[in-house]
Amino acid sequence: MGIQIITALLGSLGFSLLFGLRPRYLCFATLGGGICWAFYQCCLQMGLSVFVTCLLASAFSAIYGELLARIMKAPAPLFFIPTAIPLVPGSTLYYTMRSVVQGELSTAADYGIQTLLTALAIAAGVSLVWSMFFMEDRLESYLKKK
Amino acid sequence: MKTEKNELLHTLLDFGEAMLRSGAEIYRVENTMLHLAKAYGATEISIFVITSSIIATIRLPDGQEATQSRRILNASGTNLGTLEKLNALSRKCCKTPIPLHRLRKEIEDAKSSVSLPIFLIGSILAAASMCIFFGGTAWDAVAAAVFALLICLLQKKLAPLCPNNIVFNLLCSFIAGVAICASARLIPVLHTDKIIIGDIMLLIPGFVMTNSLRDMLVGDTMSGIMRFTESLLWAIGLASGFMLAIWLIGG
Repeated sequence: MGIQIITALLGSLGFSLLFGLRPRYLCFATLGGGICWAFYQCCLQMGLSVFVTCLLASAFSAIYGELLARIMKAPAPLFFIPTAIPLVPGSTLYYTMRSVVQGELSTAADYGIQTLLTALAIAAGVSLVWSMFFMEDRLESYLKKK
Repeated sequence: MKTEKNELLHTLLDFGEAMLRSGAEIYRVENTMLHLAKAYGATEISIFVITSSIIATIRLPDGQEATQSRRILNASGTNLGTLEKLNALSRKCCKTPIPLHRLRKEIEDAKSSVSLPIFLIGSILAAASMCIFFGGTAWDAVAAAVFALLICLLQKKLAPLCPNNIVFNLLCSFIAGVAICASARLIPVLHTDKIIIGDIMLLIPGFVMTNSLRDMLVGDTMSGIMRFTESLLWAIGLASGFMLAIWLIGG
């Protein structure tokens, strides 16, 4: 588990570099990946299902991104994208493909559903947080006008 | 005949295009263009952005109106550096508008692509750490790093030749897949699955997909559906390429 958190950190750093993030934001983006995975593991330890865990972890990354965006006055994707990297279902996608090629269609279906559910959980978690922040923005400008 | 309003519109479209190409959400592009147009004196503004085109109409205080549109081809990149610079630029210009020719120059400056060494280091680091993250050994990580370089090479050299991102993903994953499966056959300490998983992460359009869902959520249904379908097709291309390679050589 320790090695996973370290590699999640390094992976987020790698993707931040690859996506051209400027050096001054690198440490926040890198840290995000590690915290996100630690959070994911904690949720799993508490006995939550993979779907719910993934949803919570992606919501967590979105909150992390939005809060940093407000503090640093920079767009939220700068922090959200590297943070959510460890959640991307690369491994189940691979096992889906391999099972299809090997003709084990029921295993393929299992992995395929897992991949889709993970993608759905990430999207749902993010969307929830985004819409909350969106409404909060609207509320603020509405109160200002009054 | 060049007029002030046409110049303004043209620069606005440049700004929007640069944002789209750096991977910004539709909502962000429309909003930024709206604020910029207001800052430069437009009284009425209507902007419609989808992934493949931008249409903008502005009305100036003297009652003149102008419309321009722009076709955007192959906007599939993600460049957080450009996105951040453009965001800072629009904040600055909304406070105190700078002359249009300077704005155009600053947009050009912001569009700089990621430098090659950084791009390579990033890809290697990302692929190697994701390989270990998903359970690979140190040797697998080394192999994933080597094949990450191959993918970088393909992204730089092969991508410009491909008609679109679907074909590129198919070819790129097929070539990388064959190379990985073949080397794992020759060197028994390597695990094909872990190496492919590490390198797949470089190609997966995960971010585009979450972006498209956000687009749909805030009401940009058209763009959302378009981007979602695109990213799904890219993923299918990616999966087909790897499957073909595994079927050919054996995973």
